[in-house]
Formats: sequence, C-alpha cells, structure tokens
Amino acid sequence: MRFPRRPRPSRGPRPPRLLAAVFLTPLLAGCFASSGGEDGAGSGADDGSRLRVALAFPPAENLSPYGADATILSRLGVTEGLTALDANGAAAPALAASWRRVDDRDWLFTLREAAFQDGTEVTPAAVAASLTHATEARPVPAALSGVTLTAKAEGGTGVRVTTAAPDPVLPLRLSSPGLAVLAPKAYGKKGAVDPVGTATGPFELTEVTGATAADLDRFDDYWGGRAQASGVEVTFIADGTARANALRTGQVDLAEGIPVAQAATLDADTRRETATTRTTSLLLNAKSGVFKDPALRAAARAAVDTSALAEGVYEGHADAGAGIYGPAVTWAEGKRVQPAGRAKAGRPGGVSLTLATYDNRPELPEAAQVLKQQLEKAGFKVKLEVREYSRLESDALAGKFDAFLGARNSLLDTGDPVSLLASDFTCDGGYNLALLCDRGVDRAVAEAQTVADTGERQDAALAAEAAILGTDAVVPLVHQRVITGVGAEVGGVLLDPYERTLVGAGTRR
Amino acid sequence: MRSRLGTLLWRAVLAALLVCGIGLLPWLSHTDPALTVLKARSADRDATPEVLADIRAQLGLKEGPLGLLGQWLAGLPRGDAGRSWISGADVLPGVIEALGASLLLMVVALAVALVTAAGVGARTLHLGARRRLEGRPAGCSGSAVLAALPEFLTASVLATVVGVQWGWLPALGWYGPQWTVLPALALGLPAGAVLGRLLDDQLPAAFAEPWAVAAAARGLPGRSIARKALRRCVPGLLPNLGLFVVGLTGGSVAVEQIFDIPGLGRTTLQAAIAQDLPVLQAGTLVLVVLAAVATVGARLAARLLIGPALRDGALHTLHRPSPPVRRILPIAYGLLLSVVISLGLPRDPLALDTAARLRPPSAAHPFGTDALGRDVLARVAHGALDTLLLALAISAVALTAGVLLGLLPRLSAPLVDTVNAVPPVLAALLVAAVWGGGSATPVLAVAVVAWAPLAAHTSALLRQERATLHLTATRALGAGPGYLLRSELLPAVLPPVARHALLRLPGIALALASLGFLGLGAQPPSPEWGLLLAENQPYAERAPWAVLAPAAVLAVLGALAVTAAGGLRRPRPRRPRTVDPIAGERLSTRPELVGAE
Repeated sequence: MRFPRRPRPSRGPRPPRLLAAVFLTPLLAGCFASSGGEDGAGSGADDGSRLRVALAFPPAENLSPYGADATILSRLGVTEGLTALDANGAAAPALAASWRRVDDRDWLFTLREAAFQDGTEVTPAAVAASLTHATEARPVPAALSGVTLTAKAEGGTGVRVTTAAPDPVLPLRLSSPGLAVLAPKAYGKKGAVDPVGTATGPFELTEVTGATAADLDRFDDYWGGRAQASGVEVTFIADGTARANALRTGQVDLAEGIPVAQAATLDADTRRETATTRTTSLLLNAKSGVFKDPALRAAARAAVDTSALAEGVYEGHADAGAGIYGPAVTWAEGKRVQPAGRAKAGRPGGVSLTLATYDNRPELPEAAQVLKQQLEKAGFKVKLEVREYSRLESDALAGKFDAFLGARNSLLDTGDPVSLLASDFTCDGGYNLALLCDRGVDRAVAEAQTVADTGERQDAALAAEAAILGTDAVVPLVHQRVITGVGAEVGGVLLDPYERTLVGAGTRR
Repeated sequence: MRSRLGTLLWRAVLAALLVCGIGLLPWLSHTDPALTVLKARSADRDATPEVLADIRAQLGLKEGPLGLLGQWLAGLPRGDAGRSWISGADVLPGVIEALGASLLLMVVALAVALVTAAGVGARTLHLGARRRLEGRPAGCSGSAVLAALPEFLTASVLATVVGVQWGWLPALGWYGPQWTVLPALALGLPAGAVLGRLLDDQLPAAFAEPWAVAAAARGLPGRSIARKALRRCVPGLLPNLGLFVVGLTGGSVAVEQIFDIPGLGRTTLQAAIAQDLPVLQAGTLVLVVLAAVATVGARLAARLLIGPALRDGALHTLHRPSPPVRRILPIAYGLLLSVVISLGLPRDPLALDTAARLRPPSAAHPFGTDALGRDVLARVAHGALDTLLLALAISAVALTAGVLLGLLPRLSAPLVDTVNAVPPVLAALLVAAVWGGGSATPVLAVAVVAWAPLAAHTSALLRQERATLHLTATRALGAGPGYLLRSELLPAVLPPVARHALLRLPGIALALASLGFLGLGAQPPSPEWGLLLAENQPYAERAPWAVLAPAAVLAVLGALAVTAAGGLRRPRPRRPRTVDPIAGERLSTRPELVGAE
C-alpha cells in the first residue's frame, strides 16, 4: 500500500456538507412566507377563509405606490383612489362620493366617510397631503406626467384639485392606482412611502417578504362593508408555467396571467378570459426605409391575416384586430369610423426589411414568425430581430428597424383614450415607434385633446384613430384576452379589462 | 509563501477587474442604465426625457462610472453594498438571502450529483475491485446521455410529471426540505454525469497500478482496493467539483425560474438585464469569494487524500491500459444521427402552418409539429449543421485555451475561479460591450467561460503527472522542459481533457441559445437546436415530442462524442520505456518537480 493509513479515508469532506444542509434547512425555511393552505384565524363559518393568490409581477420597488407596483396594491384591494374606472371606462365614485367641475381648472371632490387602516379618519387634509406627495414624487407617477396639479382641503368633506392647464379628464386621471390615497403615517422621510397598514381598501397589507410573498388581513372598518375573505396570502411567481402549476396543484386559489401555452392544461371551468385594452400591433417605420412608401405600407397591411394570428398563435384567446381600441373598450364598438384615403397597395418586389420584436411576452416571437411568412408570401423579404425589451426600445425609437411588433395598453395609466394617440402617433409623441409624422393625424389628435365631454371625446378619439389607421403606419393585429386561473370553489373575482382589480370585498373561497 | 502571496494578489486583481468591468458596463456597451432601470421597474412606462432625467438624478448617474464605483467600494468595508437601483432597498440583505437559498440548492444538488457520479463509476469500481476490468470496453453512453440533458428540460418535466400530475413532491416553491428534491435532481443529474464520466475515465488506470496488483495478491478485500482506487482518482476531479459548487450556486437560472426559487441566479440575471449595478457587483463578488473558498477547500481535500504521495513524487501516471475500443457504438450513434438528418433535410424547416400546430408524430410528420405547425424533424435536421459546427468551433477554442492556460496553473487557477464565478449572461454582456456585436461575439461569449473547467482539469492532471516517477526518471536522464512537455506531459493530459471537452459539447450548444435575448446568437426562425428547445419548452407538457426530439438528438450527439472520444488515447511511445517504475523510486526525488501549487 502506498497510501498512509488515516482514520477517515476518502470520504472526509462529504458528511459535513450533508450535515450543513440539515442544519441550514430550518434556518432558511424561516426566511420565507408560510406555504399557504392554512386557514385564517377566524372561527365562525361566516368569517371566510384566506385566499391564496399568485401574482405575475413581483414588486419592483418595494410596493411603492408611485410606480408599477401600484397596480399590485390596487389589484389586491389594498389601495383606492378618489375615483375608480367602471366597466365602460368612465370615472366612478371611490373615496370621493361625488365631484363637480367648478371651472376650467378647478374640480371639487366630496369625500365619503371612510377610515384609513391605521384607524385614523380619511379627512380632506389627509387626502390633499396624499395627492401633493404624489405630485412631488420623482419620477412622477405616470398618470401625472405633463400635468401640474395642486390639491387643497375645502370644508369638512371637500378637496379642491386645481390644474395648471385645463384638464377635462381629471376624474379619470385620479382613478390611476398611482394616485392612491394613503394615511399621513405612510409618508416617511426622503420620499419613502410605506403602504403597510396605511391604505383604505378592504384588505390591509400586514407583511411583505421581499419580492416573493405578501400577507394581507381583512380591514374590518372598510367603508364598503367587511370583506368576505378573512385575508389574502400573496405569492409572486414570475414564471407563467409555474403559476399554472401552482393553481393545478392547489397551492393557490387564484393565478393571474396564465400564458396562452399553458391555458390548455387548465380545466375549462378554472379558466376565465377577460378582454383587455392591450392591443398587439405591427408598427411600420414611416420615416425611413422600406415603409416610407405608403403604397408598401398598404401592401404590408393587406398581406397580414389577423385571424390566423388570433387562432394560430393565441389559440383563440385573443380577438382579431379591429382598431387601435379593441373590444374591451366597449364604447368604441358602435362608433368606429372607417379609415379613408388609404394608399393603394404597391408591389414589394422582393424588397427586404427587418421586423423587430421582444421576447418578454412569449407569444410575440411566435407572432413575428407567422407575420414573416405572411409578408414573404406578399413579396417582402423579412429578417427577424428578437431581443429583450429594454435592449430593443431605443433602437426602435431611433428608426433602426423597418417594422416593430409590440403589445401596448391602449388606455395607458389615465384611462383616457386620447393620451395614447398623442404619445404614440404624433410628431412630438414620446413613444412614436412608427415614427409617424402626419399633419392630418396631428390635427385630429389635437382636436380630440381639447374635448371635455366624455362622449364627444370618445367620438373625437375614434376620428383620430381612423386618421391614424388611414396612414397604414400601424396595423392592429390582435386584442389580447388575459386568462386568469380561478379555483373551482372561488367566487366573486373582479376580472377587469383595465387590469386594475382582482381581489375585492366580495371575493371568497 | 511568496508564491502564495502572489496568487492571492492576482486573485484580488481579478476580482477588482471584474467589479470595475461591471461598474463600467453601461458606459462600455452604450446602453442607458436609466432606461433599463425604468423598464425593469415598470415595463409599460414611457421613457420620456423627464422621467429618465429624474431616474438619473435619483441614481446619481452624473457622478460618472468612476465616482459611482468609488462610492460603492468605499461602502464595502462598512458592510454597505449600496442600494439597488431598481427597488432602492439595501443590496446586501437581499443578496445574502438569495445566496442562502442558492447554497442550499447547490448542496442538495451536489449530493444528487455525487450519487449520480457514484452510479456512473460503480460498474468500473465493481469490476476493477475484482480485477475483471482487463479487456472490457468502457460503458459510457448512459452517462453521456445524462450529461447532455438540458437542465431546464429535466426541470419542467419533473415539475409537471412528478409535481403536478403525480403530486408526489411540490411542483414549485422553496419552503422546506421536500421542496429541494426536484430542483436538485434537475441540476444534479447532468453535473453528476459529467463528474462520473471524468472519474470513470481514470479508475481503470488506478486499478492497473502496481499497488493494486500487490494488494490483490496479498488478498486484500475488493472493497478496500476500490476505496483506495477512488481515493487515488478523486483529487483529479476536485477542482471540477469546486467549479460545480460555484456554477450551481450562481448559474441555475432556469431551474430557479421553473421552481420559483428566490436564488442568486435569478437575482444576478435580473440585475444584469436591468443594469442594476450595485446588485450585480455584490452578487458577483459573493460568487467570486465563494469560488476562492471552494478552491481552497478542493486543494485541502486533495492534500488530505494524496498529499504525501504528491509531495514525495510517489505517484504513477494514471494511464489506463488501452481497453478495446467499442468501434461499433460510435458508428451506430453516427449512423442514427445521419439517418435522422438525411430524412429531415429534404423537408422545409420554415414552412409554417398554424392550422397544424402541436400535431403528434405521424407518417406526415415523423417527429410531430411544433407550436407554429412546423415539421420538427425538418427543423432538427436543418439545425444540425449550424449547431454542430458552432459548438465544435467553440469547443475547439475552449480546449486550446483550457490546455494552454492549464499548463500555467499559477496564472490560470485564480482566473478559472473568477471566470467560473461570473454568471454566463454577465460574461456575454461584458464580451458584447468590449467586442461589439459582430458575428463572432456569441462564439466568444460562450468560449470565454467554457475553457475554465478544461483548464482546471488540465492543471489537476498535470499536477499528478508531474509527480510521477517516470517523469522524474526522464528528467534524470537529461530531458529538458520542452521535451518533457512535448513528449510526456501533453500526450498524457490531452486525451482525457479532450474527452472532457466533447462531453460538454451539448452544453455549449445550449449555452449559445441562452444568449439569444441579448440579440446575440441565433434568432428565430433559425432551427438552431438550443433555440428549438427553448421555443418549445412552454409546450413541453402538451407536445412533448417537440422538445424530446431535439433533446434526444442532442443526447445522441453527446453519446457519439464520448464514445468516439474513447479512441482518443495516449499515443504509444516510440521507444520502449527505459525506466522501470520500481527502479525509478530509488532515484532521488526532486522537490521542485512537485510544484503545481
């Protein structure tokens, strides 16, 4: 034997590792939220059990109400604003029982009797302070971009909101989750905002475990009556397949945003579809390259078969493109204006183009490949460019691609139909991926922006939509429906085309 | 002592370079961090100039890269790794928590890997202990197939079948011991197969050493001989084991996603995409430290196992007696591959038919159709050439770099650790930032990390090789270092390292596809195999054939590479060995020969 004898040959390093695992396990398990499944503390039958919800987007900014996390809070029934959106996209009362326009720039909101979750009352002063904090946040909440707004308490129940420029859509704007009203206690130093136990909704945030889980309890003094579920256990599961699996194994009662590819694995009765205001469209670069020529844009529009996309890629979980506003925008249906003055389709003659899209939404690369085939059949040569979204946007805005395939929420944060048109299709628009600069379009959009009356504004928006579609710079492809997985015994889920609500006072298991 | 200090210094320099590289990333790659941070916070928010300016002010980007880096470094001694650019929360607690989850996952996965490796080497161990190894060909297809398994595929199959359909184990989450089993299996099986293969490669040689013959002659039980043989071979694998420790901790992104594990892989990936530099720097630094710890651990373990023998130069060269190579196996695998490819080549890999999506295998579509109704057989066949050529090219580059750097262990060992600790996506981002977006970038981005395990393997083998007696003897006979390298060291080391490189070929093909979202590598609708697997993964449950077909050909490729590599043996010496190993022992041992440290 050439090896000297040792008490523990060759297996030396292994047992400590296994041992470490045994010791580490309980240590680490302590870091996580409970796995769910335990019922609430409530004893009575009418006390309701706790809901277990899987959300798709983990909080990015510690549930700050000013960014995208605001939607999480509003979907879970934690926060509320002065107003809310009703099913027709009009402003509905929330914390404000009513409102009226005093003059061009002044609005007076009358509060209802309500309480914050920390026990204090919702006073005009608290509401005004809350709105003022929102206007001071940097970057400003999306709903306030380009708007200067001041809020002051008036009398025992009134809040006067004044804007620097006339703002006909102010009540819609205030329904944005980013303008939720929180108790004075929520606002700390250095602009930090803590929504834990300071909001007004039917559920109160009690604990947040990083970006993985959150715990909610029922707020008993909710102005709209006690919620039916005694609490909500939220897990944030970013992967769509994992969310579907969580629902299928009964780990959660409610899973949002089931990907199209997984929809077929769920039972039909657990699958709820909601038409959304999100439209997937093909944007053609009208400034440079192949699609500068309107005739070729028309040829591309004619080549696209939207129903093949809705059926073939979205498996029927989407509606074929009707316009910039889809079927979820209910008022658009009867009023739609047919685009006029479209160019006659030209012959592409084998001209080659680059079609860019992103893979953050798994259906988009698939749709792009179908589009490629459809366009090639019509005589284009297509090269695809698929990247992660943030690595694509600046190149797209700089006009480096001939065509861009993307999904966009047509009502944005304000619920106002015109603001999307202004930012996406006018010469000065900040998100003009089609690089469209058309005098007729600019005029129509500018006209729509001045209209105050809801119905007339909608008409003007549709007239502007027709002007935009007339340029063929945008080809609406499909209007997506979101699929929410709802466990068989769950009722009262608030499925909302604006994706702002999910769990409410009436949601139960 | 001085050399150890030098190594330490070199290690620190590398870590500093890496941290600085990350700190400069946005400025090197000309991507605006304000934009990527905004999109990570809120995908729908429009990037107006005002919003971007606010974010720049909030992050203090005006300070410039050097100012930011200085601030971050100044905070480190106080245990302050800055605040995340996305969430504004303190970086360190989050990173430590993620590290905890990842370490636990790694430990369990490593346990699975060791069991797998033991399983792979069991046959050789069993036969060798009974001295019945002579004349038997090595069995290696099984482990090669296992090593070629893409972990995201294993993970989704395990999650759906074991987790959802059978309900035996939780399909997702990270709440307790039973939640660790499935992810650890997905990670540990391929890792264990690679380790097992490397072990199996060396065992026969250990059994052929004179001590084993003598021990058997003295009537020592087979079990005892097997134990000693294992002890003789394990040190050669320890560096690679160390690399797996770090690789599994920081690089198991796909598995963390599928099982929803809040680990370090996802944290660093997200930070890399959003250019959340403080998180990325902290995460990478933690991994670099872990790599250093793992290396020290591996070295201590190696010393514990064969230290005295290494010191005294009392080792034999580990060259297995050439077994009969199974010529039939590689031919069979090659034939199978070429039949599949030649059947698929006449078909159109790009013809879409959304009416015929996700069709099961039939006469019209022998491998079924994918989510867009394309023929899977056609796609597999057409993708073969691209995938193979590219993967082979990268493997060749990695092998060359690995062997060359492996020859200089003092220089390369810290480099190997550092490179291995860098998450692959970050490596690709850095390469793309420095190199630009040319067609060679994806090749370089994969090769820049792929050489590391090969270099580690080379230096481990070299260290043993330098301590062998016949080398001492050759040197005593007056051979110079150049001669030793050419005719003794390289011929001894190259074959096993080349076999190792081929074993990793399928992994390289997959790594290429994982860079697609950065705009590097193959773009749809190209039928490149990695892309094929990735695009069909969401449909794995509904249309298993669409992922199984490319996975199967990848596995066959792995088996082909490994069985064909069985022919890679040390060339026979032209002259008969003049030095008898026993006689060599009487020669004076020269301590400076030992030095791989």
